[in-house]
Amino acid sequence: MLTLGVGLGALNTGNNLLYLVLGLQLSTIVISGILSERVLRDLEVRRIGAESAFAGEPFPFRWALRAARQTAYALTVTEDQSPLTGEAKVGSVPRGEERIVRGLLCAPRRGPVALTGIKVTTTFPFGFFAKSRIFDVCDALVVFPRRVPPAAQLEHPSSGALGERSNPRHSDGDGELHSLRPLRPDEDARRVHWTKSATAGELLRVEREREEREAYTLTVPVAKDPGELDGELDRRCEAAAGMAQRLLKAGHPVGLVSGSLRLRPATGARHERRVLRALALLGFDPEPELEAETP
Amino acid sequence: MNRRRLRLALRDLGAASAFVSMALSGQVPAWAMGLFGSGLALALLDRRVFEHRSRISAGVLLACALGLYAMVAAGRLDLVVAACSFAGLLACQRMLALPGETTDQQVHLTSLLMIAGGAALSGDLLFAPCLAAFAIFASLSLGMSVVDANRGSSEAVRTGPLVRVLAWGVAFALVGGVAFFILVPRLSWSLAGRRSGVGLGIPSSGFSDRVQIGGSGRIKTNPRVVFRATLTPDPKVDALGAYWVGKSFDTFNGIEWSGSARPLPAQLEVTLLHGGKQLVLQQLELLPAYGSRTLVGLDVPIMFGSGVAHLPTRNARARLVVLPAQEVRFESESGTYGYQVYSRGNAGSEVEWSQAEQERALELPATLDPRVAALAREIVGDEQDPEGRMRRLERALSTRFQYTLDLPGEVADPLADFLFVRRAGHCEHFATALAVMLRTLGTPTRVMAGFYGGERTGREYLVRAGDAHAWVEAYLPGRGRVRLDATPPAGRVGAPNAVLDWVLRQYEALETKWQSSVLDYSFRDQAELTQRLITPPQRKDGVRLWPSRWHLTELAGLGAVGALVVLAFRRRARRTPPASTEAARLLDDAERILGRVPGLRDLGPGLEKVSDALERACHPLAPVVSRVVRRYLEAQFGRRPLVSGERRGLRAALKRAVARRL
Repeated sequence: MLTLGVGLGALNTGNNLLYLVLGLQLSTIVISGILSERVLRDLEVRRIGAESAFAGEPFPFRWALRAARQTAYALTVTEDQSPLTGEAKVGSVPRGEERIVRGLLCAPRRGPVALTGIKVTTTFPFGFFAKSRIFDVCDALVVFPRRVPPAAQLEHPSSGALGERSNPRHSDGDGELHSLRPLRPDEDARRVHWTKSATAGELLRVEREREEREAYTLTVPVAKDPGELDGELDRRCEAAAGMAQRLLKAGHPVGLVSGSLRLRPATGARHERRVLRALALLGFDPEPELEAETP
Repeated sequence: MNRRRLRLALRDLGAASAFVSMALSGQVPAWAMGLFGSGLALALLDRRVFEHRSRISAGVLLACALGLYAMVAAGRLDLVVAACSFAGLLACQRMLALPGETTDQQVHLTSLLMIAGGAALSGDLLFAPCLAAFAIFASLSLGMSVVDANRGSSEAVRTGPLVRVLAWGVAFALVGGVAFFILVPRLSWSLAGRRSGVGLGIPSSGFSDRVQIGGSGRIKTNPRVVFRATLTPDPKVDALGAYWVGKSFDTFNGIEWSGSARPLPAQLEVTLLHGGKQLVLQQLELLPAYGSRTLVGLDVPIMFGSGVAHLPTRNARARLVVLPAQEVRFESESGTYGYQVYSRGNAGSEVEWSQAEQERALELPATLDPRVAALAREIVGDEQDPEGRMRRLERALSTRFQYTLDLPGEVADPLADFLFVRRAGHCEHFATALAVMLRTLGTPTRVMAGFYGGERTGREYLVRAGDAHAWVEAYLPGRGRVRLDATPPAGRVGAPNAVLDWVLRQYEALETKWQSSVLDYSFRDQAELTQRLITPPQRKDGVRLWPSRWHLTELAGLGAVGALVVLAFRRRARRTPPASTEAARLLDDAERILGRVPGLRDLGPGLEKVSDALERACHPLAPVVSRVVRRYLEAQFGRRPLVSGERRGLRAALKRAVARRL
């Protein structure tokens, strides 16, 4: 705008000094374009990705930048044409070095996200304009369901139905004896170590290396009911994911049943990711190839 | 100095350059300059006094705005100057505020406004370095600001390489700006234009309504150029040594001279005399430093006309009035003027003075010391020829008395003091003494005030305030006017010291170039430049001079620049070839060298296959070929580029191995 104003002033008055100022401004704009082009021209970019991404919350995402010929300045990296929001910024990428940049991205909903290109933008050298270059690097990111607190408390095994979960009386843990501790009022009397209790004069229960855990199998209906709102499946998946994470964190084996999908109850970080990934991809076409199993 | 301070210092210096470009016009109020200077000093010391006092700073700014408005309303300040001054104060307030990206942008924006204001207000040569300084400082600061905005808190960005890149950018931008300036078509709607201001310093032409001998002043040492003139026909001499007359005084009361000619009403042209031979046309421009409305012309001026007053927003035709001291003056007030004047080339023009004029030119003050007439008679002696008497007096005063700029101060009889006590004085003393002594001998005389000199710069002659001069015009019946100058020759022209004189000459040469090449650059100049570039030079008789010496020089210069550019690019390309290109060259070299070895050609294409075959056969060339292949693969596909000189080394090793084998 100011350049335009100076240009109009120069034309209006015929003042050569204003023409000189206008020339300098236009020349600076051109040089700005050339320098920013040079910054982006020899840049090499690859996507490193994220450990895990949950819908609705920022997650760290990494890219590797390398400036082949000359130091690149003032870069902003984003994912092009994707629903992911957020960016990574870096002041400089020295010539010949590879620099890992990290940004916080956010996905609006669960599901697979196709990453078609990395967009690198620079406002170098003067901040007049932002020039971008898109690097065609294809990849996919699975966004896990949003982490929400479970909608309902799990019922106690002793009072709940037995169909959906294993019977806690079937086992009292396994492994070697780990320790003894006083029995609490609501605990099963079959865990009492009678000999030690007689010696101690109070009821002591046995704790083993691996305590007994109730195994849960979560069922998520895929079919849409008549009159069901859009996004209901997402909400079911989010509730199931929240429940699964809570149970897995508590050490319970968790399985998943949804349509033709069957995941056997299991524990551990890898299983947690399998469950989350399965929930993330539910309802998307094609369905993910997961371990199909009859419980 | 850390990065933040460096960036802010560059930003503030950029703003200072912009403000100076504006202040060069001499129109910015002194208090605004003082405020900006104080703010700049605090900012450079990193004392951001308004950092947490935004309300106070806004109040101060409002007070300044009201002050400027009051000055505009009172007619003491031009609106454009007030707007520019406010931009400077706003920049100052932002410089002292909390630093940040937004604040930086505001300072740069106001600085750019100041630069535009400087371009509108000032045509001074110093605007060019101010503009360049602003471009350099602001660009470096902007570049650092952009990088810092993208930098993480723990990320280190080296300042040196960044500044180098930005410096190259600024250098190209400056060159590009000049190229744009030269090439962009000069179109002008001419709706509103401004002329340059007075500039720094007090304007002084050395003129006053009366000439008073005595008093004080050092006008002779003032080196400022007060007007410039183009003469037709061009005398083509470096030192013109001409008398430029502005006023003529015929009445002397013992202390001061005054004029008594009949005033004339305002008109567009003033004719003082009629006709004459060897007329010289002068196109004069009275510069802002002149500070007077009196027109001057080469002695003897006969007609003034085509007066133009350069008003702040337009050029207007100016009317002329004639005042008692035969002074021609512009009727309206303006900073600068342009006009034409015709003069007779010979001073001794055949013009009769009327009886009344002759009588006035013979009047002597009642209090004249009788020793003056006695001295005149003594000097003249027995000389009978009227002109011989004049020349004797002129020569005697010029040789027996000293020229000095040290004035006597207030004395009762300055003329007697000059002739009989101090025996030294300046041009007005010499002119007064000569005029009065001639009158005692019965010769009508007047004292003329104006300038003496004229230094050639380009096609123009420059005259300084220090060239102000006074001399005598006498009347001889039958012969007309005779010009007499009793001032010793060394005292007639301005007398700055030698070093200052040299510096001034260089500066004026630059200023003249600036005036002709920048300020007066026009569409016509562009057309001439284009014509010169596309048309081979020709002699007046139409014979082509291609290639002329001038063009050979230009072509040689262009060729040298082109060669340097090509060499620089080639050197750069050699220094940093793309990794893949360098690897491919290595492969080509290896295949060419191995192609000379009998038997290897039969192994088929593909250096990797050749290497495998050599390895299996335990061939003596296997180690070196394997090394070449490994480095080629690493460089081409493994992101381990060949370092500088590595390809040459590998090629040489392979050549040596093949040579031994052959």
